[in-house]
Amino acid sequence: MHPILCSRARLGTYLLGWVPITAVFAFVGLSRHWGLVGSVALAVPSCLAAAFMFLSSWHLCKAFPLQGLTLGGQAVAAWGVAALVVANLWGAVVWALAWGLGRAGLPALPAKVRADMPVLAGMGILLYLITLALHYLLEAVARNREAEAKEAELRLLAQDAELRALRAQLNPHFLFNSLNSISALTTLDPARARSMCILLSDFLRGSLKLGEKRTVALAEEVELLKAYLAIEQIRFGARLQVDWQIAPDVLAIPVPALLLQPLAENAIKHGIAGLTEGGVVRISARREGGAVELKVENPVDPDLEPPQGLGLGLRQVRTRLQLRFGARMRFEAGLQDGVHRVLMVFPEHLAEEVAP
Amino acid sequence: MTERTYSALIVDDEELARAVVAEYLAGHPEIQVAASCANGFEAVKAALEFKPDLMFLDIQMPKLDGFEVLELLEVQPTVVFITAYDQHALKAFEVHAVDYLQKPFDADRFNEALVRAKARCDQGATTGPQPSELAAAARSDWPLDRLVVRDGAKVTLIPLAGLEYVQAQDDYVLLKTADKSHLKQQTISSLESRLDPKRFLRIHRSFIIQLDRLARLEQTPSESWIAVLQDGTRLPVSKSGYARLKAVLA
Repeated sequence: MHPILCSRARLGTYLLGWVPITAVFAFVGLSRHWGLVGSVALAVPSCLAAAFMFLSSWHLCKAFPLQGLTLGGQAVAAWGVAALVVANLWGAVVWALAWGLGRAGLPALPAKVRADMPVLAGMGILLYLITLALHYLLEAVARNREAEAKEAELRLLAQDAELRALRAQLNPHFLFNSLNSISALTTLDPARARSMCILLSDFLRGSLKLGEKRTVALAEEVELLKAYLAIEQIRFGARLQVDWQIAPDVLAIPVPALLLQPLAENAIKHGIAGLTEGGVVRISARREGGAVELKVENPVDPDLEPPQGLGLGLRQVRTRLQLRFGARMRFEAGLQDGVHRVLMVFPEHLAEEVAP
Repeated sequence: MTERTYSALIVDDEELARAVVAEYLAGHPEIQVAASCANGFEAVKAALEFKPDLMFLDIQMPKLDGFEVLELLEVQPTVVFITAYDQHALKAFEVHAVDYLQKPFDADRFNEALVRAKARCDQGATTGPQPSELAAAARSDWPLDRLVVRDGAKVTLIPLAGLEYVQAQDDYVLLKTADKSHLKQQTISSLESRLDPKRFLRIHRSFIIQLDRLARLEQTPSESWIAVLQDGTRLPVSKSGYARLKAVLA
């Protein structure tokens, strides 16, 4: 797409730049005794024609891109030839316009213009080269911006990958406590010991798998969460209850991988584990006007001093959502009536899916 | 000769974790399990009631953690600490040469710890570190967020946000909250060292105040200073306390 024709604002600015050139053209005409009316009447359409004709320099700019500081002789030759050809073409247009004006009541103009053709050709070459330079400049700015955007995108991807890698790391406290539960069950209830081994394996495999991906269907996140919470239910017994509120139509929706599990882990660590009687962890997911709404709620010990600011886990989740969705997401975490609630809302269609 | 018996408490918030200890103890008839406790409150109550010789104590528990349980007991049982993964606590145990078990542990490792615990029990001398020292070493990385006090069998948690000021009374500290005063056996200096210096300041040999409770400073005719708190309480400020106050308020 042509860098100037692509937007009205740019085209407007470009044409505005031709206004002083038109004035110079008219001034030159005056000094060459074309008369005031003739100078102005010829300057306006001539410069308008030049403005559009010289836009063609973009093709030259594309054909001979500036690579670093080395100027090929070929490029210089091409510029020269192009400037000569286009400037002379423009000269012909100006002469045709002058001829037209001559027929329209300025009979002296065509002859004067023809006599000044060398001056006009010189102006044409100069203006063409200036326009060419402008195109090179715009091209360089666009390229620079593109490179910056690409770099920013890569940085985001790297950060997101880093955060996911952190998530996929196991919480050692959870792992050792689970192994201790298995150790207890081997004599008390061997069948449950075995099922806990399998749940733990499912969970480990799931975290490894999801840790490699950037986006997964919500159903996969929910599967991982189910294995995780089933293990914690064996550890905490009746103290941990889980209330699932997952609308069936959200399961296929793509979500950032490993988003929910850290929140469930927090709900247990900072909620259930601190309550002697335990409580209910509620996990909700639903669609709401083109957005996905995920919620994790858990009761907390009212005797505990409320934490100041977000913990590391919540900060990481928020950062990942920010990296991915920018201003199009909402993240809220807070305590109300003894219940800690984390709410996340983000678009249901993940924008720009990037291949790993 | 009959071997002496030992009474013991098992303290862990996870039922299966208590079950493992109970199972290993079943092979030791000399150990009589007095109670199995699922949280810190129960542990303090049972410890006061049964005065056990031994305590198998998990560190991470709801309400009161293992260190806080010990802090509230005047008579310390011989303790075998149990933890899943707590690097800070492990460092503290190593430094103070305290015996501990890491979950999961096998019967051999458990028996070793038990033999040593019984030996310490037989010596009678509790030469181990004070629980508050141990807790301070284990939790040195993060500031204290609450204090625990006990009156008889009643345990109260005082969030630091609710603390107005602290007054030293011999080996005790008086913790003043909006509606109550609590006595805790601890020196004011050891408490001061655990408090966040950005929030709490020692204004006098006998007083620590929560900085956001300070309303104004007044000068007495004798040129000394008085700190007036928001609730109207007037506390003396020592010369060095005034210098510290000026440094943080400047």
